[in-house]
Amino acid sequence: MKQKIKSFSMMIFQLVRNFHASHCYRAAESSLLAKLRKKTGYTIANCKKALEMHNNDTDKAEAWLNDQAQAMGWAKATKLAGRKALQGLVAVKFDKNHGVLVEVNCETDFVAKNDKFHKMLEDTTLACYKFAHTNLKSKGPITKLELDSEQLGNLSSDGGKKLSEVLALFIGSVGENAVLRRAECWKANSDDVKITAYTHPAPTTASDYSSGKYGALLAYKQPNDVEDIGKQICQHIVGCAPRKIGDKKKDKPAENSDDETCLIYQEYLLDPSYTIEEVLENNKIEILDYIRFSCGEVEEENMPGVEKQPLDTVQTLQ
Amino acid sequence: MTGRLIIHCIIRNISHNSTFTPKFLTNYKFASAFSLEVRNLSTKHKPKPLEKKHCNIGTIGHVDHGKTTLTAAITKVLSKDGNSKYVSYDEIDKAPEEKARGITINAAHVGYSTKNRHYAHTDCPGHADYIRNMISGASQMDAAILVVAANDGPMPQTREHLLLAKQVGIKYIIVYVNKVDLVGSDIIELVEIEMREMLSDFGYNGSTVPMVFGSALKALNEDESEIGAPSIRKLLDTIDKYVPPIIRDLESPFLMPIDNAFTVPGRGTVVVGTIKRGIMKKNDEAELMGFGFNTKTTLSDIQIFRSSVLEALAGDNVGVLLRGMKIRAVETGMLLCAAKSIKLSNHYKAKIYFLSRSEGGRKKPIFSKYSQQMFSGTWNIACRIDLEPTMDMMMPGDHGEVYLTLLEGMVMTEGQPFTIRENNVTVATGIVTETLSSIDVPNGKLGKVVFKHDL
Repeated sequence: MKQKIKSFSMMIFQLVRNFHASHCYRAAESSLLAKLRKKTGYTIANCKKALEMHNNDTDKAEAWLNDQAQAMGWAKATKLAGRKALQGLVAVKFDKNHGVLVEVNCETDFVAKNDKFHKMLEDTTLACYKFAHTNLKSKGPITKLELDSEQLGNLSSDGGKKLSEVLALFIGSVGENAVLRRAECWKANSDDVKITAYTHPAPTTASDYSSGKYGALLAYKQPNDVEDIGKQICQHIVGCAPRKIGDKKKDKPAENSDDETCLIYQEYLLDPSYTIEEVLENNKIEILDYIRFSCGEVEEENMPGVEKQPLDTVQTLQ
Repeated sequence: MTGRLIIHCIIRNISHNSTFTPKFLTNYKFASAFSLEVRNLSTKHKPKPLEKKHCNIGTIGHVDHGKTTLTAAITKVLSKDGNSKYVSYDEIDKAPEEKARGITINAAHVGYSTKNRHYAHTDCPGHADYIRNMISGASQMDAAILVVAANDGPMPQTREHLLLAKQVGIKYIIVYVNKVDLVGSDIIELVEIEMREMLSDFGYNGSTVPMVFGSALKALNEDESEIGAPSIRKLLDTIDKYVPPIIRDLESPFLMPIDNAFTVPGRGTVVVGTIKRGIMKKNDEAELMGFGFNTKTTLSDIQIFRSSVLEALAGDNVGVLLRGMKIRAVETGMLLCAAKSIKLSNHYKAKIYFLSRSEGGRKKPIFSKYSQQMFSGTWNIACRIDLEPTMDMMMPGDHGEVYLTLLEGMVMTEGQPFTIRENNVTVATGIVTETLSSIDVPNGKLGKVVFKHDL
């Protein structure tokens, strides 16, 4: 009996050995790899390592990968930290009494168009929006708070992770440097103060969240019986980039209306026959404050003597 | 022919001698009987000998996957074969903006030749950058090499790379899987499967797109193993075979933009230009179109290098005598087309790029109904720009699709470049993408045109 069992087990052992080494099993292994890769999106090399370490148990491999991704994300983020990140997007989210304006950068605009980037941007904006609702103390007509990269990193996203962790994961997956550049959180403290926002390019359907290369927040007062043109004023701010609101008593209009930097003296973008001052008067609007972000402007300002290449090839072609 | 030559010389020499010139020798008809214009003796004008064909190619892919190394390796391998000049990694990487932005922005174009073709090679570092260069004509890609590193595999943004290629109309993509020395064959297999799937997702035929596997770094270091320099030679061979040569269009009805016009005393008005497509034959019916005018005429005579021919092909620079055409009726910007082949239109779709403030463009954004002068080639016309209904405005530095409405009907071809100037300063550059049916311009006032594209 013992002999029979021994020989049988030898046979079975040989069979199983063959089975393991044969083509169809290897195919099963590589399709496990393909499935894991498809499901998680981590690099193929890492997926393979995960499967090897956990004897092809896809669940354990996945858990390990998720853990590792965070650590690898941090490692990659540290490695790429010096690289200039000038591309990216600016996003806004607002309701009547709160508004946030966020800028997130990356290295190439290919990544800025990618879904993963958009998701991270939305998460960041949402986190700031929540922050504006919960953490801003009421002081004066509007409470404004500017957040820098570090403070942004410390906010928590919906999933419970800190934004800095979400960012590291993102860097790990696209292999490019990315920065949570800055954010502005505003809260209106009285009912007659309204907040609105605008981004360019504007979304096709109006929404409380949008993103683009430029964005602006506006806090203003306007009685309810007049048509609300806050959004249009916001569009003007994005388009004409005024440096300050301007004080009639202190500031004079510029010599060349093209170079005008005071908001009140600028020609209204949507109807250049009026100045903003006139528009505000005609529509009974009082502007309390505004802020405008242009993607990449912070970094560009800090770069010494950078000149964009002029398109002189255009002239020679014609 | 020798006899003729002698008599011709005699006639010539005697004619120049002013003291003794018998009248009959100076008679034009007599002398022309012995004239020895080589061109009149040769057979019908043949097209120029086929120059080495040209192709515009570029690299796309993730910043760290080895595009620059690959480009340097290509020039190195070809320089060994004697056809090209080696351009080092640093030379390619170093462009005026490079240091400021930290990634390769190739202001420089690298050129190299294989046995079959000459290639102009650029890199594609950014989407907006590439579109901007394409609109201004600075760079163009007929084919693209997508570089993917085997150890990473396709990245999330590889989808955006393919999206750009599709948008821009690149028909031929070749994939070079780089850094294969760092991974095993099972991973390489998986990379191939994933890439083919992704290519199919974007409308390319995943199963027929050629893939070459190798290590650009090894090739650059002159390693002759299969994945080193030979992989580069295989890549070039694949490109040579896979990308078909660009053929001049000889099937379509002929079309020739007018560069110049003049009157030949005793014969009539001659217009000069380079035939864009088709074949022109003597006595063909044609129409001279532009600026709202459409005049029927016939090609009485076609001349290449001042010598009459019976027909001329696309690419030839010709002078055409038009029957019954007054010089006043011709303006540069008009086109000579085969009769009834094309219609005038004053409404087009175009891709446009507004120069940013730092490039000397506008400071303020533009809205629909923006009217300025449009310049194309040597002519200009008043033009109104309307944005897509979904676009609120366009900022300087933006690019996008717009609608053009011209003051008068013209003929503009797909890909025709133009610029918009405000007070003689270029504020925008663009290319025509589509001809639409004409719109009515009431009383010559562009501002009053009713724009209906909300559907």
